[in-house]
Amino acid sequence: MATTTASLTLTSTDLFDDSLSLSNTSTLHKAGTTIGLDQTTGLTKTYVTATQQFDPFPMVKGTTNANENGRVYIANLSEDETEYIIVTIGDLVIGRLYAGDFMWMPWSPKARHVNDIEITPSVATGMWVEFMAIHNFANIYPDSADS
Amino acid sequence: MATINATLSVSSSDLSSNTLSLSKTMTMTKAGTNTGLEFSSGLIRRKLTATTEIDLIPTGAQIYGTPTATVNGSKLYIKNTGSSSTDYISVGLGDATQPNELNDDTSKITLGHLYGGEWMIIPYNGATDVGDVLVAPSTAETTTVEWILFFE
Repeated sequence: MATTTASLTLTSTDLFDDSLSLSNTSTLHKAGTTIGLDQTTGLTKTYVTATQQFDPFPMVKGTTNANENGRVYIANLSEDETEYIIVTIGDLVIGRLYAGDFMWMPWSPKARHVNDIEITPSVATGMWVEFMAIHNFANIYPDSADS
Repeated sequence: MATINATLSVSSSDLSSNTLSLSKTMTMTKAGTNTGLEFSSGLIRRKLTATTEIDLIPTGAQIYGTPTATVNGSKLYIKNTGSSSTDYISVGLGDATQPNELNDDTSKITLGHLYGGEWMIIPYNGATDVGDVLVAPSTAETTTVEWILFFE
């Protein structure tokens, strides 16, 4: 097992009359246990030059990952505030990550294509995107496309 | 406008043969601009005592305002404040009016599970009829969920 720790702080001095200061730390565990997640796709930084949707964490065809656990990190490294990526899961849009934005969420994929995570860049002029999954899935490719 | 910062740090010395140390800070801005988000739901805390799926964050007009749907820089934070390593909440997106259950992954798609003490931060789409944020506890024991929506 491995020990992986994730922390998040949220701060603002002017969103409310009073300051917002929120801090959380958690250790990443396999589903229903205190055993650490022990696999990762690795941190991938890629320069995307098309607006075509791509799958950063493809699952092996015909397999499932029910009852397993994972965390996904995705960041838009662009410095142009007008550039964004659309992040989807299955057929639903999670939302847009504009320049400098990131997301961190749990992921419990099932059968292939049911809740695949996909990324669609807004421009074809080139933008940097970073992503990583930390998991205990049996059937995730480290990277490639399955569209 | 307001200045809202979020910093994520992920670290491990033994997940792979090299040390993982990731730190990223974002300032939450409106779509396509450098102008900060200025609205929030506030920190909302709910106690759930059934495994029934609930529409934690409905789309459209709410008491805290009407978040812009689809084209926005909005962000959503959710935490399971419990301490259990076996009990969790399923978090998903979809249309709360549909009869199927969250885990069926048809018109409602599960993102994943938050066990005790775990949290997430994601962009918020809020599209009408499909952008409901749905939560279902795994236990009928009291589960406390906290969340904040930062929106434009």
